[in-house]
Amino acid sequence: MKKERSRKYRALQYLRIVSQAFFFGLFLYLLFKTHFTGQDYIGRVEVFFHFDPLLAIATAIAARVLFASFILAGITLAVTLVAGRYVCGWVCPLGSVHQFFSFVFKKARLLKPRKEEKSGGRLVWKYYILIVILVSCLFTVDLVGIADPLSFLYRSFVTGVIPWFARAGAAFIRLLYGLKLSSAGDSLAQFFGTLSLNQTFYQGFFLSLLFLAAVLLNVSKERFWCRYLCPAGALLGLFSRWNVAKVRVDMDKCIKCNLCTLHCQTQANPYPNEGWRSSECVYCYTCASICPTKAVYFPVKTKPEKITSINLSRRRLIFTSALAVIAAPFFKTTPAGKRAAAKLIRPPGALPEPKFLEKCVKCSECMKACPTNALQPALDEAGPEGIWTPVLKPKIGYCEYYCSLCTQVCPTGAIKELTIEEKIKVKIGSAWIDKNRCIPYALGRPCIVCEEHCPTSPKAIKFVMVETKLPDGTTATQKAPVIDLELCIGCGICENKCPVVDSPAIYVTSVGETRSEKNRLLLETLQPGSPLSPDGQRDQ
Amino acid sequence: MNRREFIKDLALGGVILRYSPSLLAQASPGPDMAIVTGESPAAITREALAAMGGMKRFIARGDKVMIKPNIGWDRTPELAATTNPEIIKTLVELCFDAGAKEVTVMDNTTNQAQRCYARSGIAEAAKAAGAKVPFVNEFRLKRMALKGEWLKEWPDFADFVEADKLINVPIAKHHSLCRLTIGMKNWLGAIGGARNQLHQKLDEGMVDLASFFKPQLTVLDAYRILVRNGPQGGRISDVKLQKTVAASIDPVAADTVAAGFFDIRPEELAYLGIAEKRGLGQTNLEKLTVEKRAV
Repeated sequence: MKKERSRKYRALQYLRIVSQAFFFGLFLYLLFKTHFTGQDYIGRVEVFFHFDPLLAIATAIAARVLFASFILAGITLAVTLVAGRYVCGWVCPLGSVHQFFSFVFKKARLLKPRKEEKSGGRLVWKYYILIVILVSCLFTVDLVGIADPLSFLYRSFVTGVIPWFARAGAAFIRLLYGLKLSSAGDSLAQFFGTLSLNQTFYQGFFLSLLFLAAVLLNVSKERFWCRYLCPAGALLGLFSRWNVAKVRVDMDKCIKCNLCTLHCQTQANPYPNEGWRSSECVYCYTCASICPTKAVYFPVKTKPEKITSINLSRRRLIFTSALAVIAAPFFKTTPAGKRAAAKLIRPPGALPEPKFLEKCVKCSECMKACPTNALQPALDEAGPEGIWTPVLKPKIGYCEYYCSLCTQVCPTGAIKELTIEEKIKVKIGSAWIDKNRCIPYALGRPCIVCEEHCPTSPKAIKFVMVETKLPDGTTATQKAPVIDLELCIGCGICENKCPVVDSPAIYVTSVGETRSEKNRLLLETLQPGSPLSPDGQRDQ
Repeated sequence: MNRREFIKDLALGGVILRYSPSLLAQASPGPDMAIVTGESPAAITREALAAMGGMKRFIARGDKVMIKPNIGWDRTPELAATTNPEIIKTLVELCFDAGAKEVTVMDNTTNQAQRCYARSGIAEAAKAAGAKVPFVNEFRLKRMALKGEWLKEWPDFADFVEADKLINVPIAKHHSLCRLTIGMKNWLGAIGGARNQLHQKLDEGMVDLASFFKPQLTVLDAYRILVRNGPQGGRISDVKLQKTVAASIDPVAADTVAAGFFDIRPEELAYLGIAEKRGLGQTNLEKLTVEKRAV
């Protein structure tokens, strides 16, 4: 037998790499475009999410509502149904990240392909993860954002990779100035300025470590995440039994070298051919191009495939589902659902809390779009379901008055899309003054920085003259701030700009937020005509 | 001419100049201040500079010019929270006509810089006229000796200090703490650091800054002025149409003129008194040559 590798499949492999590079580039392009670019409305930069059938199904189950944009996920499902998991192998940007690092680790000899168990072993994990997610959604516990590949990738980039990039860039700029290359430093600083990258995130370090861990798992197995963990891959796997693209081995040419199966990125096991797993194959064409005798090929056949060698028995399915049924109520045991949390300030347009949690997929798009870095991933503010959902932290940033970007980029409508005119009427909290720390009240000195920054007209922060006893016994009379809660929208610029920096003397809590019927303060603030008036979206 | 003669002439010349102010006045290329009213912000700016004797009086060939507008807030021009973009554009054009090599327009904004630059209309207008409109660059922040009476040292953006010529282009606005924010207060946009702490002694602080930055020219934008809810406003009803531009070599006089539009006497603004005492300029406009025109 003449040993020769297939040029056709080599070319297809390159084409696949080009496709992956293109979609990864598109992901980066859309992500870096997710900020204020001079226009009030920025278009559908979040469109990647709408092609994700896992998010579509999970959100539909958890929130009991169909979101029109997710119609695009039908394309992904249709492609998978007809052709197989091409989306995993050719499009998914997280898949490309894992593939790239698998390649690097292979070249570095850190990752040595080994023969796998015939049973498929850990392949089944991802199906369990999928079942737990979907069954929990039935109980309105939406955990999909934790493990969905796009949510994971976006979150990691927004809170980890991009801040790293911005700070590395700053270090480089500092170096340029140190080397007296000022004009290069100036240009680069301006370039970074136009990108408006948010650099500060609570949990930024932790979320970066998670991403790093996911990447390093590729040292253990090629595309570890895609093989064993990815619930979206599992969902597409369930849909790829009837696909017409098959992998076949021509046994006349095969020399049983096992290279194809050894180097299969996702353990789809092309050889022996009866063990090929249609549900696992992502059509990377590695097997066909690595085959020394052109024995592996991809014919088109319509016969459905059995899901072989993945131990997805009925017994295990029922057991996993039962596990999710039992686990779901635990997520509701915290006081988060019982009573509004003072520091749980949600972005403007956020739905009432229970609805919000059912829809938010923790993707961090809003945190990328926020012009002031105010939106931060929650840790425990919103209970265990609410981890990594957006919370506004006025100490880091404030809600920019004329900006509604976060409402525009939310892929699931957890933050309802608002026009600027609608947005400026939404109250996300209320400001309070700590007179024990406020400079005019406590120290008898002039300040009222908060009043200067208050964006509403008329201002929600007004001033009164107050007398303060000074340490020497004299009395100072100063203008001191008072809050008009009828006008305050809770944007938090007062807290952000307060000169008492460590623990601001004026601060925002969530009470009075438009979205909630329970977390109210002044009944008048609930205007029936307001865009977020809770008609139909009451929180219980 | 030998050295002795030269020194003698120099001394003599000095004595003559010292005791004959009329001689200096004759040599003076224009008035101290020009106040122009009219419908078009660009036209009245152009006229104000013409009345001052032309931009060439202030800008020499090859100068690097820094224009400091107020771009502090994320507001559109008709809300009068930021300097009128047409005035900035006209000034950039005049600077280039006068031979400037480079014109830069920048401000350390309060709201997000990208939003303020775009929505104020200033970035687009200034760029159209050929100016550079960079964001403030933290790396160019340098701690400088201000030698003020209160502020001894403060981190300032080097761009404002390194420019050959400095033009301050404030807009006249209401402000709850110092009553009006005009030209001298505008220098808070040229500095970095914990600016909000200056509020504890704002009048002294802004005079210290004004005496440090010393612009060659102040062009007061009083086309629209903000009469309440300052310094941001937010409603058209907060704005009053004054349709005036004043160009002045005296920064104190420029602020004094602006105060007049709010019916505020100069002695009501503490910082004007402090600035006058420090010799930064005049609040008594009678002592200045003022040219008034209408377009």
